Amino acid sequence: MPFPVDKRVCSSWAKDLPRGGDTIIYTSCMYQIEPSVGTFLKLLPSISSLKGLMPLARVVKPSKTQLERAYRILNNIVIALKKSGINTGYLYEDEPYSGAILLEMGFLDEFGEYARKVVKLFKEKGVKRIITVDPHTHNALTRYKEFVNHDIDVVNYLELVNYTKEVKGEFTIHDSCLYSRFLGLREKYRELLRKSGIKLIEDEKITGKDTSSCCGGPLGPVDLKVSEKIAENRAKDLEKLNKKLLVVCPICYVTLLPHFSGEIKDISEVIF
Amino acid sequence: MLSWDIAVSRAINNAVPRVYKVLNEHPYIPELAKRLRGAKLEVLNNLEKYVEETIQSVKNNGGNAYYVHDAKEAQEIVGKIVGKEKIVVMGKSMVAYELGIRKYLESLENEVWETDLGEFLIQQANEPPSHIIAPAIHMTKERVGKLLKEKIGGVDENSKVEDMVAVVRKFLREKFIKADVGITGANAIAADTGSILLVENEGNIRFTTVSPPIHIAIAGVEKILPTLADAMIEPLVQSAYAGLYPPTYVNLTSGPSSTADIEHNRVRPAHGPREFHLILVDNGRVKANKDEVLREALLCIRCGRCHFHCPVYRAIGNVWGDPPYSGPMGAMWSYVVDGDSKPAMYCVHSGNCKEVCPMQINIPRVLEYIKNKGIHNDSGGFNA
Ligand code: SF4
Repeated sequence: MPFPVDKRVCSSWAKDLPRGGDTIIYTSCMYQIEPSVGTFLKLLPSISSLKGLMPLARVVKPSKTQLERAYRILNNIVIALKKSGINTGYLYEDEPYSGAILLEMGFLDEFGEYARKVVKLFKEKGVKRIITVDPHTHNALTRYKEFVNHDIDVVNYLELVNYTKEVKGEFTIHDSCLYSRFLGLREKYRELLRKSGIKLIEDEKITGKDTSSCCGGPLGPVDLKVSEKIAENRAKDLEKLNKKLLVVCPICYVTLLPHFSGEIKDISEVIF
Repeated sequence: MLSWDIAVSRAINNAVPRVYKVLNEHPYIPELAKRLRGAKLEVLNNLEKYVEETIQSVKNNGGNAYYVHDAKEAQEIVGKIVGKEKIVVMGKSMVAYELGIRKYLESLENEVWETDLGEFLIQQANEPPSHIIAPAIHMTKERVGKLLKEKIGGVDENSKVEDMVAVVRKFLREKFIKADVGITGANAIAADTGSILLVENEGNIRFTTVSPPIHIAIAGVEKILPTLADAMIEPLVQSAYAGLYPPTYVNLTSGPSSTADIEHNRVRPAHGPREFHLILVDNGRVKANKDEVLREALLCIRCGRCHFHCPVYRAIGNVWGDPPYSGPMGAMWSYVVDGDSKPAMYCVHSGNCKEVCPMQINIPRVLEYIKNKGIHNDSGGFNA
């Protein structure tokens, strides 16, 4: 992580997954730690220097409820993978951070350097296939190849699962910018949602591929006020469609939560 | 609700569906956009050759052409042509704004009038423009009414938009007629013929290019296209993606006015300007063109579509970027011409802009690259 985190916070969700193996599920601690990142940012005027986060990381920790929710989501994903015939290992406290924040803030040189280290670690652990569970990690990993040569297969859980529970109800959806416009996964989760029986309330002007705006979260480290303004605009638009909202990214969830007057759920909380 | 929020959401609600409608009704436009990208890349790959060809072609038409490196050189040339205590009318030009032409001419005691309605309002309010196609979109109509009441009278905050437009029309008409010099930009320049193309709806650019005895066009070198046939495409694509299709007017100018009515001898001038000057501008572009990633920014045709799909622009638009360059394209251009990487830091990589850009510029990737340069203190093109 870009700041020190108690490794147990990241890894305690997994109880009976094999340690390591050639196929691993890779959380990059995103679901676990993301609920507390907003608090970090609020405490800082600006993190023009990421080092500014270091001392704060020790005092701010996700709450018990936040952690339980994150753990449930990750376990649901593992269950869905299993039911789709895919068994994975996990690196537990050896799992490295993806470096996504470096990439997204434009520290390209540093990201490249970091990517080399992470790839080396994966290789040492004998990892051949990585299953990512969030868009930011998936994006970072798919871009490693621009900086370091490797033959590790990077695949997102949405590309693998074919299991869903049966669910009734109407929701609207907030797309992840990365999944929708950069990584080609927009239709994958729509397919899963259809399969589960959920009815999506969409409007081309609000949830279309070109028009569905960002939640604003990735701008938080640069300018929290603008980030929140974007979230507020986004929440206002989405509320016009439905009071029940689905998201596919832990950053979208925490960013939209204070601004959306209805209920927000990660799709993994609902369809698996 | 802040007035920016009101104004921008009104503009988005008007513009976004209109572009989709235009593209639906005229499916040949995306094809033309593709061809335009190819033709622009051809020039950028051989920029020096095309600059030379353009200059020669303008001279062949009896015009004057210049190549300038920076704002100072551009101001000097314009200053020499215009002189002092003249009346100058301007058609909206981002490059003229970039180079500080209006302020410079005013410092030489010239009377200078912006004639595009949005730009006229910006000039009256002494504010930077907030959008490339609609420079005054941050102003609600109520604010425009109040501003005009103070500056030229005849309307107020409760007046109808039609009446506001009429008042400005009447005011500017007199300036057009008396003007000594007209200054415009250029949407496209044809290297093989030395012609410039200008697209507009108001009719002010026509007036500016034809009524005064001297016409000066100022444009970045990236506006050059290999042939007149390629250059003719640009106004169609630009206006379509701006949601203003068909454009009301497309102006083509090749040198000073001419006639061939006596024994079919082409002689100049005729009714229009007796002098035509084209100023081709570098100001960071040539250096950007040498960089594989930054070169993409030079493909921008200033349609302004990316602005309306960008969550950051919607949230803070009018203060994002170095005037006149706002929005996603402006975050790229602030770096190209001012070496300023700060606007790029605000890119949240939503990717909407890259989805809608007719020139298929992967804007978030360009901005990510600029962020990295800024973080590592690698200054941009300007004077570097
Ligand atoms: S970057 Fe693309 S969408 Fe934006 S103004 Fe330029 S051409 Fe238009």
